[in-house]
Amino acid sequence: MNSVRKLSVLLILGLALLIIAGCGGEAVDKADTIIIGLEAEPVTLDPAQMTDFNSSRAGMEIYDSLLRFKDGSTELEPCLATDWEASEDGLEYTFTLREGVTFHDGTPFNAEAVKFNFERQLDPEHPYHDTGEFGYADFTLGMVEEVVVVDEGTVKIVLSEPFAPFLGNIAMHAAAIVSPAAIEQYGKDISINPVGTGPYKFVSWDPGVEVILEKNEDCWRGAPEVDRLIFRPIVEDQTRLTELESGNVDFIVGIPPDDLQRLKDEDKLLIVEQPSMHTWYLSLNCQKPPFDDKLVRQAANYAINKKAIVDDILKGTGVLAKNLLPPLIWGYTDDVQDYSYDPDKARALLKEAGYEEGEIEFDFHVPKSGSGMQQPVTMAEAIQADLEAVGFKVTIKQLEWGTFLDEAVKPVETNEFLMHELSWLGDNGDPDNFLYILLSGEQWPEAGFNDAFYKNDRVDQLLNEARTVSDHDRRVELYEEAQKLIADDSPVIVVDHEIQIVAMDKRIKGFELHPTGVFRFDKVTIE
Amino acid sequence: MLKYTIKRLLALIPVLIGVSILVFLILHLTPGDPALIMLGPKATKPALEALRHQLGLDLPLYKQYFQWIANILKGDWGRSIQLKREVLPLVLTRFKATAILTVFAAFVAVTFGLLAGIVSATKQYSLWDRLLMFLALVGFCLPVFWLGLVLQVFFGLKLGWLPVSGMSPPGQAGLGSVFKFLILPGFSLAVGTMAEIARMTRSSMLEVIRQDYIRTARAKGLTERVVTYSHALRNALIPVVTVVGMQIGFLLSGAVLVEIIFAWPGIGSLMVNGILARDFPLVQGTILFVATIYVFVNLVVDLIYALLDPRISYN
Repeated sequence: MNSVRKLSVLLILGLALLIIAGCGGEAVDKADTIIIGLEAEPVTLDPAQMTDFNSSRAGMEIYDSLLRFKDGSTELEPCLATDWEASEDGLEYTFTLREGVTFHDGTPFNAEAVKFNFERQLDPEHPYHDTGEFGYADFTLGMVEEVVVVDEGTVKIVLSEPFAPFLGNIAMHAAAIVSPAAIEQYGKDISINPVGTGPYKFVSWDPGVEVILEKNEDCWRGAPEVDRLIFRPIVEDQTRLTELESGNVDFIVGIPPDDLQRLKDEDKLLIVEQPSMHTWYLSLNCQKPPFDDKLVRQAANYAINKKAIVDDILKGTGVLAKNLLPPLIWGYTDDVQDYSYDPDKARALLKEAGYEEGEIEFDFHVPKSGSGMQQPVTMAEAIQADLEAVGFKVTIKQLEWGTFLDEAVKPVETNEFLMHELSWLGDNGDPDNFLYILLSGEQWPEAGFNDAFYKNDRVDQLLNEARTVSDHDRRVELYEEAQKLIADDSPVIVVDHEIQIVAMDKRIKGFELHPTGVFRFDKVTIE
Repeated sequence: MLKYTIKRLLALIPVLIGVSILVFLILHLTPGDPALIMLGPKATKPALEALRHQLGLDLPLYKQYFQWIANILKGDWGRSIQLKREVLPLVLTRFKATAILTVFAAFVAVTFGLLAGIVSATKQYSLWDRLLMFLALVGFCLPVFWLGLVLQVFFGLKLGWLPVSGMSPPGQAGLGSVFKFLILPGFSLAVGTMAEIARMTRSSMLEVIRQDYIRTARAKGLTERVVTYSHALRNALIPVVTVVGMQIGFLLSGAVLVEIIFAWPGIGSLMVNGILARDFPLVQGTILFVATIYVFVNLVVDLIYALLDPRISYN
């Protein structure tokens, strides 16, 4: 028995020793490095292939585009192009390129590089087309017919039809310029060996561990203050919070609503918030009963207490929505039909539509999680309770995100969703990006993403005109009229616009969130 | 023994073929289109079709399967749809992290589990026995995600003794300081298995201690220590080894939760993300790899029986 005791004492001593040995200090120099906790691992650092936030947040500081969104807004400013000019007919855009800019690999940026990048994505015959999967190419640059190198410093882009939001698209991530020499060198592995012209350059990417960027001393915009950025994927929300609170991570995203107030109360932390170009809504199938009846759609809209959802479930992580278009996008109007919570009106509308209480029964499809979906299940339960209170009979059907998306974009004949949750995040700051894509009669799945199968000829006419005319004031007028008609028809029930929230160590100064959700660290300093 | 080992290794082939078919079918028959998940709702129809074609998803299922198997045999495990990297190097790197975690957890679980089991059995019904078995019961019931988060807050945040998550200090990837990063996830993962081994060892020991040959050993005048360790423990270990072997499989899969909670860059979190993204090549490759490892672990366990108990022989 003695030996057992001896052995246990030894083991416990050994373990204690190891724990003590483990308590060394961290070697990272916190004065010049920001460690960022992401919600998941980035999947690619090639801007042409990015489709998720974790990738664009970790990767977009490596690149520039011809134009960029101004800090804090979706207005455009010069970037790699110093000047641009559109032809009368809106079919040709000529960009004057910035001189003397080099990629991180030392090769020069010029008109050929622009042509290479756009054609790599658009032309299946391009020798480097097979170096990636370009999911956003069609959406961002699909209207480009030809890219013409006028001279070293001038590039002309010819469109197949006038497309008013084009310049906004040019500032999106898929139009960012990657070093052609690097694409030639790395081929498919450009995804993990990114080379651009931006304020930070790529150092390393250890899968599942971290992405490291360091400042580009020769950046044409001027070198950033902070030397290094380290992006760590930390999937579990509570772990990310604990890492921030213990000071191992300086900056985090994805703060659960329940923890927000506690973090705000902490002295050493700073919370930065910014409304985003996001809308969370319910899609109602306008082609099938019961929601083919406008009165029923309106009844459902009045029945749901959206304010209570925003206040009690989202707890300040979203703002109450009135319109599918987020307020920070130009062309927004709140002079539309107001669907504030009014259960009596909902009951009256159902009666007017000829339905008895309990007569309407349907399945409500809900994803268990998903990009931009906030708290899909809890929100669905609140909505279900509200709808049942006015006489709908609602069954929630939960689906895993992949399966859910698959069902949501089935064509009208086979689509079985009557009511489902969805969210949309704009990326070029143009109303077209919401209204046309989500509600034009030409955009029914599988052609587009109008999965409410809404069709209103007048709205279609307005949206089509607005995407082709270049006169800004005229576009505003057209979008305002469209928004009013849409609100009256109520094909979607809008609930909230998510607020982007990040929490960081107070030593980090000057960080501003951008409406597009991409992080900009180029003007940030550490105290 | 050699013949037996070779026979077992050959039997591996049909098992792995079965696994490959099963994995392939389950994944491909699950609703959800990898192209759509990857591109999101904003993808246009031509973009989706082009991507499906590029990924070979427009081929008939059997063709996709044979193409995959043929490539695997050529050493080409394919490219992850989501992560855009070669599958094999990715799986190997990430498996290294899981292996470190699993081996450490198994070591902790076996050492402490055995110790607790032996003490409990030799001191049956004593205070020690009751205390240890109570702890084992608690340990067995603790949900790993709860334990993990509590350990993080206590040792990482409040006391500041140990890192909260990850496998190396930020910016210094490598195994240099892996140990201090290993303690919390390792213990979280080990606790359940440790409890199971303790209870198994105790009951197995109690059974053996009552057998005739132990009485004979004592009657011969051997010391209690020799009786316990040379005579009783060796035989009592056989069911324990079975449990340990099975538990290594459990640890490999149980590591998924621990890896996610502790941001441990292992194979489990890789696989879960892969499944959610319907990343067929990645998930197929990962499962095939893990299945192979698991079958090998089982083989090793069977071979250890023979070493422990001369009555078991494979000739």
